[in-house]
Amino acid sequence: MTLDPATAAILATVERLVIEVAGDEITLAGPLTLATSFNADLELESIEFVALAEKLQAHYGAQVDFVGWISTKQLDEIIALTVGDLVTFIAART
Amino acid sequence: MADLTVNGVRLHVQRLGAGARVAVFVHGLVMDNLSSFYFTLATPAAAHRAVRLFDLRGHGLSERPAGGYAVADFVADLAALVDAESPDAPVDVIGNSFGGLIALAFAHAHPARVASLVLIDAHDGTAGWAAQMAATLGLQGQARDEKIAASFQAWLGRHSERKRTRLADHARALVEGTTLVADLEASPPLDLARLATIAAPALLLYGEHSDVRDRGAALAAALPAATLEVVAGCTHSILWEATALVRDRVVAWLEAR
Repeated sequence: MTLDPATAAILATVERLVIEVAGDEITLAGPLTLATSFNADLELESIEFVALAEKLQAHYGAQVDFVGWISTKQLDEIIALTVGDLVTFIAART
Repeated sequence: MADLTVNGVRLHVQRLGAGARVAVFVHGLVMDNLSSFYFTLATPAAAHRAVRLFDLRGHGLSERPAGGYAVADFVADLAALVDAESPDAPVDVIGNSFGGLIALAFAHAHPARVASLVLIDAHDGTAGWAAQMAATLGLQGQARDEKIAASFQAWLGRHSERKRTRLADHARALVEGTTLVADLEASPPLDLARLATIAAPALLLYGEHSDVRDRGAALAAALPAATLEVVAGCTHSILWEATALVRDRVVAWLEAR
């Protein structure tokens, strides 16, 4: 699947920040795609997710209210989050 | 990463919301970190307070010094954080499990710094607590891992095998690589009779089937302005088992004062 340039740029940023938070080995199974699940695929720990949220906020600024967005979700929804969900959220606000 | 160095130790801090009134959240022991509150109570609470979450020393993304894990050390960290984040006004302190014990000990040591307390299935730190905790954490090898896993089952149940392993590795490093167990064991017990000096209103939420439910009743009797609610059907992990109820109670509590 070919991504449009804006989506690809956001995906690349998310991948970079995920690696900053969790280390290189997080992508050993392959690069992040929109279908990658934070929990089932990346096995990101909840404290790493907090750190990722902080980095996203620092990168995109206040208009991307990641914490506020997360807070509208049930825990089960958070656990099921994919990289694509996050990229869509960011794309709608940048 | 947002952090704050207190007593020579770098602590990971998350700040949400704004305003002059501050609420500080204190998480539980060993397997826990600030993310428990981040994903449950922090954002709704931030509508009413400037919320401060932090990882206790040795936990989460905070520094893990080799020593300094007595209850008094955790209280000193909390006191320094409160001084930095709310120098002029008392704060609401919300503590879960061991975090509730720290909140209680902080309120006892610094009553003027506390606007209110919320204790979620808190240990009370009276005689016997440290021995029980040390007996759990002081076990060796597989017996210890199994006991830790059982104690934190609700928490671990949400995690995959790899994460379970990483959390267990983290717990092992804290338990075996620091003086945590010895320091907690050597911490003097809290004297319930002396808690009468804590004038701040306190909300006590305990699980019906929690192993520390009787501590809730004892604290409700010892604290001058306590409200106790026993949450039906829950164990010690009420933050996970009854997240919506705990969130509603905490938000209403902050909103009302």
